[in-house]
Amino acid sequence: MKKGLTKWFTGMMIGTLLLTTAGCGGGSAPAANSESEGAGAAKIGVVAYLSGGGAAYGQSQKEGLDLAKDEINALGKVKIELVYEDSRGNNTEAINAVNKLINKDNVVALIGPTLSGEMFASGPIANQSGVPIMGTSTTAEGITDIGEFVFRNALPESSAVPQAVKMAVEKYNLKKVAIMYSSNNDWAVSGYKTMEQALKDNGVEVLATETFADKDTDFSAQLTKISSLKPDAVMVSSLYQEAALVLKKAREIGITVPFVGTNGFNSPELIKIAGKAADGAIVASPWYPGKENEKITKFVTDYKAKYNKVPDQFAAQSYDALYIYASALEKAGSSTDRAKLRDSLATIKDFQGVTGKFAFDEKRNPLMDATVLIVKDGQFTELK
Amino acid sequence: MDIILNQYYLQIVIFVLVNAILGVSIYMTLSTGQLSLGNAGFMSIGAYTCAILTVKAGFPVYLAVPIGGAAASFISLIIGYPALRLTGIYLAIATLGFGEVVRVIILNLKITNGALGISGIPTLGTKISKMLSSFGLSRFGGLTAQQTSNLLVLVVLIFILAFLVFFCTRLNRSRVGRAFASIKADESAAEAMGINTTYYKLLAFALGAFIAGMAGGLSAHLTFFIGPKDFAYHRTVEILSFAVLGGSDLIIGPIVGALLLTMLPELLRSASEYRLMIYGALMVIMMAFRPQGLISEETVRFWKRKLGRRIKQ
Repeated sequence: MKKGLTKWFTGMMIGTLLLTTAGCGGGSAPAANSESEGAGAAKIGVVAYLSGGGAAYGQSQKEGLDLAKDEINALGKVKIELVYEDSRGNNTEAINAVNKLINKDNVVALIGPTLSGEMFASGPIANQSGVPIMGTSTTAEGITDIGEFVFRNALPESSAVPQAVKMAVEKYNLKKVAIMYSSNNDWAVSGYKTMEQALKDNGVEVLATETFADKDTDFSAQLTKISSLKPDAVMVSSLYQEAALVLKKAREIGITVPFVGTNGFNSPELIKIAGKAADGAIVASPWYPGKENEKITKFVTDYKAKYNKVPDQFAAQSYDALYIYASALEKAGSSTDRAKLRDSLATIKDFQGVTGKFAFDEKRNPLMDATVLIVKDGQFTELK
Repeated sequence: MDIILNQYYLQIVIFVLVNAILGVSIYMTLSTGQLSLGNAGFMSIGAYTCAILTVKAGFPVYLAVPIGGAAASFISLIIGYPALRLTGIYLAIATLGFGEVVRVIILNLKITNGALGISGIPTLGTKISKMLSSFGLSRFGGLTAQQTSNLLVLVVLIFILAFLVFFCTRLNRSRVGRAFASIKADESAAEAMGINTTYYKLLAFALGAFIAGMAGGLSAHLTFFIGPKDFAYHRTVEILSFAVLGGSDLIIGPIVGALLLTMLPELLRSASEYRLMIYGALMVIMMAFRPQGLISEETVRFWKRKLGRRIKQ
């Protein structure tokens, strides 16, 4: 019997040991993620897609945020500490991450999550708890309808797409177009709906609407049909992977008309994959690294120096988001009062960021102008 | 007390309970020895039925959840009748295919809002607290509204899980349960003994689907948002791994599996990027040393003997 007891005891000891190490780890994790900024630092939680299929987006966001944090702390007006949590692009994970940041780390505000679906799942929790949450890449319709505490600085598709469509219609005198979109991607479907509305508003006739799915690689059937209809332009709503392949195939079978895209077109990867075929792709973007502007040039140089690549839109919008929080924190005069921070955040206007002049409207969506870009000789240039 | 009532921990416990209910659903079909991988599909049918009923038709949750379960169960009968003629790996593939078909159908239907999913689903917590406040019970001393609602959800889920466990243990000792066990042990022998195997297999399949559908309905009201992506095959694998890790001999097995597999990623959060690596490594180690799952009948017998001896002393 003695032996049995010892076994029990050892088992219990190992169990406790495991539990305590896990617990300790939890306590010291924030310090490991970001160097402690000392007392009085405002703790901001970040929920991002850091592992899994969309990890590239989360990584860019993290890089943009880290860069902004270092700059803000060097300026010294407010001190910010960032606590990162991975959401893996999964709704329940996002809920858990938001809950942890609010209730265990006691953050004053949140940035993220990366995907709109994750925001729909976790936004209500932040809202109920009275913690401001700002999406930097959540472009879907209805995000800020979740509640008072939900903000975003991601330009919604409903504002960016019509600008691109209008510009293209005026520029190329479009009369009839064809649409293609990815029907199993929530974000692409939302983009398609705005696109359709924008075309209607501009009096353009839609000859055909073709769908495909994310991760498809063969678009010949859809494009052959479109080619036979001879449209003035093709509208595409999808992520860059599919968009690039669509462009490639289209040029191959002799469709030379311009392609107008949603935000998915807005990535250097599009040009990398499609190569010469990307020429003539049009997209409206709040972020354009080639713009003549002191702030943007500085951001691009600093980012390049630190990470050795040109910042994409995810990095730029996260970078701005942290600066927006910083100026709201400064105005609120407190690094722990969540309600005060929300109120001062709502009054932000005339903010100058790398994505242009910025203000929140009464529904906490961004008011900002997008630049319409076109790919020319493998480069994004402004469409004028 | 503060630690116990921390929103974060409450939320994790809630997810543990929902996953435990899903674990029971796979246990149900496994108890006849059928490996069905359609649980994510049934879960999505339940979740969507329930969400559409509450969001668009204004049904109360306590009605919508069982209706979601019934819908899943009904579909399972239609699918099960032909599919259950298959066994082993063929049934697994057929049901896996069924799950994908459901997902694609949901993706293309108008009422399910396609890829955009359904958002703004009322939470179970607010619904329950509203109901209680109409009886004049609005606040429990010193708790925030959120804590109260989470606690209420917890109580409801514990109640449902306890009922399911009770139901299953009673079932195991009944004529039906014996039939399940005999089919699991040897289908041909069971048939030779005069057991209508198709009927019992279909029954287990439909019961599993009902529980999965209910779990789906409950989870829709806990995550505020459902989209077709939430019910892809990775969810099936997740549900199956509850039973594989915990063991599928006894009902407690999948429940323990769900507990561990839901808590582990959260406990490992401190390891940040190494989290999933550690998680994967733990799974491999577990399978290498306990291929029959953590809890089998033998384990129970072993501990009973041990504890029994100690009591005697």
